[in-house]
Amino acid sequence: MKIIVCVKEVMDPDAVNNYAVAGRLEIGADGKTLTQTAIPKLMNGYDEQAIEAALRLRDAGADFTLTVISAGPEPDKMLKHAAALGAQEIVSIPVDPAELDYHSVATLLAAQIKASGGADLILCGRQASDDDQGVVPALVAESLGMPVVTVARAVELVGEKLRVTRVTPEGDEVVEVACPAVVTISNEIGDPRYPTASAKVKARRVKPTVVTPGDLNLDEARLQPRVMLTKQFVPEVQGNCEFLQGEPAEVADLLIERLKADSVL
Amino acid sequence: MAENAIVVCTWSAGREGLPEGAEEILHIGRGLAGALDKDLNWLVLGPLSPGASALAGQYGVAHLQQIQDPKLDPAGSDACVEAIAAYWAEHNPGTLIVHQTGEARVVAPRVAGRLGKAVVMNGISIEAVDSNYQITASAYGGDTRVIYEVGAGSVLSFIANAAVPEPGDGAPVTAESLAFDRVEERVQVVERATFDGPRLDDAEIIVSGGRGLGSADNYKLIEELAAALGGLPGASRPIVDDGWVDSSHQVGLTGRITRANLYIAVGISGASQHMAGCSAAGTIVAINRDADAAIFQYARYGIQGDALKILPELIRAAGAR
Ligand SMILES: Cc1cc2nc3c(=O)[nH]c(=O)nc-3n(C[C@H](O)[C@H](O)[C@H](O)COP(=O)(O)OP(=O)(O)OC[C@H]3O[C@@H](n4cnc5c(N)ncnc54)[C@H](O)[C@@H]3O)c2cc1C
Ligand SMILES: Nc1ncnc2c1ncn2[C@@H]1O[C@H](COP(=O)(O)O)[C@@H](O)[C@H]1O
Repeated sequence: MKIIVCVKEVMDPDAVNNYAVAGRLEIGADGKTLTQTAIPKLMNGYDEQAIEAALRLRDAGADFTLTVISAGPEPDKMLKHAAALGAQEIVSIPVDPAELDYHSVATLLAAQIKASGGADLILCGRQASDDDQGVVPALVAESLGMPVVTVARAVELVGEKLRVTRVTPEGDEVVEVACPAVVTISNEIGDPRYPTASAKVKARRVKPTVVTPGDLNLDEARLQPRVMLTKQFVPEVQGNCEFLQGEPAEVADLLIERLKADSVL
Repeated sequence: MAENAIVVCTWSAGREGLPEGAEEILHIGRGLAGALDKDLNWLVLGPLSPGASALAGQYGVAHLQQIQDPKLDPAGSDACVEAIAAYWAEHNPGTLIVHQTGEARVVAPRVAGRLGKAVVMNGISIEAVDSNYQITASAYGGDTRVIYEVGAGSVLSFIANAAVPEPGDGAPVTAESLAFDRVEERVQVVERATFDGPRLDDAEIIVSGGRGLGSADNYKLIEELAAALGGLPGASRPIVDDGWVDSSHQVGLTGRITRANLYIAVGISGASQHMAGCSAAGTIVAINRDADAAIFQYARYGIQGDALKILPELIRAAGAR
């Protein structure tokens, strides 16, 4: 069996948020990208959890090779982290994100997956924490003719089938699907594990397989973006907070009074 | 039938009989169709809600079109994708817009992938510029906004609380029935989600707790205050991740998108990803120990102090009101 996990490198969302709260989030001269070079880059949190989902299948006794694949400018460090966690193969597609959109990223990932002989299971994060789009997994699935199951909190192999527990507003839903399939993982799966120190050392020697669009016979026309990011800006928060002062009992009464006066209660 | 119409697509009847977010998305569709001088069509997959004809009239829908098939009741995503793809081949919409439910998060990108169209999620507003569309969407959990430009014939998904619907007084529109070839669902539901109690999405009053509560036990104070105010208890993600409450309580980007009249955030820092699920509230009240917490930037009223001291007093005051 073969499992592929797609991972994306993103700016640390907590750091982005801290800059935003401090009013120091800045957009570059191109009007499109965040400039903060001090913000660390890391593997998208849900993608790390997608690797965790694969490792839990292995813990449960499934026998498979694990490939982790990423399209981006410099995914090597992140991919070595994946190797330390237990990926047998790491694949890097070095591309400039400014020239691509979600379709072209999905086209690249799907073409590489196909060229490498396909996969029984493709795991992705539910969304990337930079664009929040959550569309690449479905686009990959359509491109490969596979079904897609989203927002999973647990994945199990039951015979030839996958059993997936999905998080929905109405509570958990359990579905079954035959492989091959694409499944997206949500934070409800829980914390991802850390690699051991010795695995980290060993992973340093793992060389990523580097694949270019040319290797995949994808010409520019196939990678032409359909969605153009034309502008990015930091929204203003108005902020007219009135602080209520006093002892707990006083502020409690005051708040209820105010809310009643405002006809909120 | 007019091609290039703006097409609003909904499926699965919501709780109040009408599909979730139908009014909001029709409102957005009407604005766009008006600006472009195009027809607004409403495509319903599966059973037609009793109020659909009247609602269509109120939002100036030119054609209310229904694809009726047992496979679309309830609608699995394979059936939805097939049905929309078949519709597309026949009617060639100028753009197809949906309200961003959990299912829409699957169906919209799959339709786009199937048909080779552009797709944009998390839309807040849309403008037509020449023959293209510019969609303002949220990114980085709400820390930034992005403007995406796409060509005609795209699939666009908008967030629930982005629009304030304003119904007009047009006459009801009679539904036209369209045919559809059945498909087999590849994903089988073996255990349905069963929760059907009151939902955060519809709540008028929400009291949410975060990591500042200190421990799982203290969450009961949030439940008590919510009960005393006649509202529902919500939560930030970390306390869901830590198992203090189950995930149906999570408010935010990846939880419930709410729009309560009153939202009380207790021990919540106000990270953008949390605010994405509550910033549409009419009045936000924040209780936080840290006067510099981001939540105060969004709040109308702020109480700086220890939540564990203030909550019991608030429960008392709310009960006595
Ligand atoms: C892709 C992505 C998606 C996310 N989706 C969501 C989401 O849907 N919903 C969500 O909530 N988060 C989400 N997050 C997480 C989000 O970024 C924040 O980490 C989270 O909202 C913080 O939760 P918190 O405010 O409870 O905890 P903290 O940030 O730890 O804040 C605790 C607050 O409590 C205050 N406090 C401490 N003690 C007391 C006391 N005794 N009395 C009063 N106040 C006290 C502190 O001053 C602090 O402000 C997401 C993150 C990412 C990256
Ligand atoms: N450049 C990329 N390389 C590899 N995987 C990606 C890339 N972009 C997106 N993905 C995968 O698709 C998921 C959703 O991303 P997005 O659609 O961009 O929100 C991510 O969590 C990843 O699993």
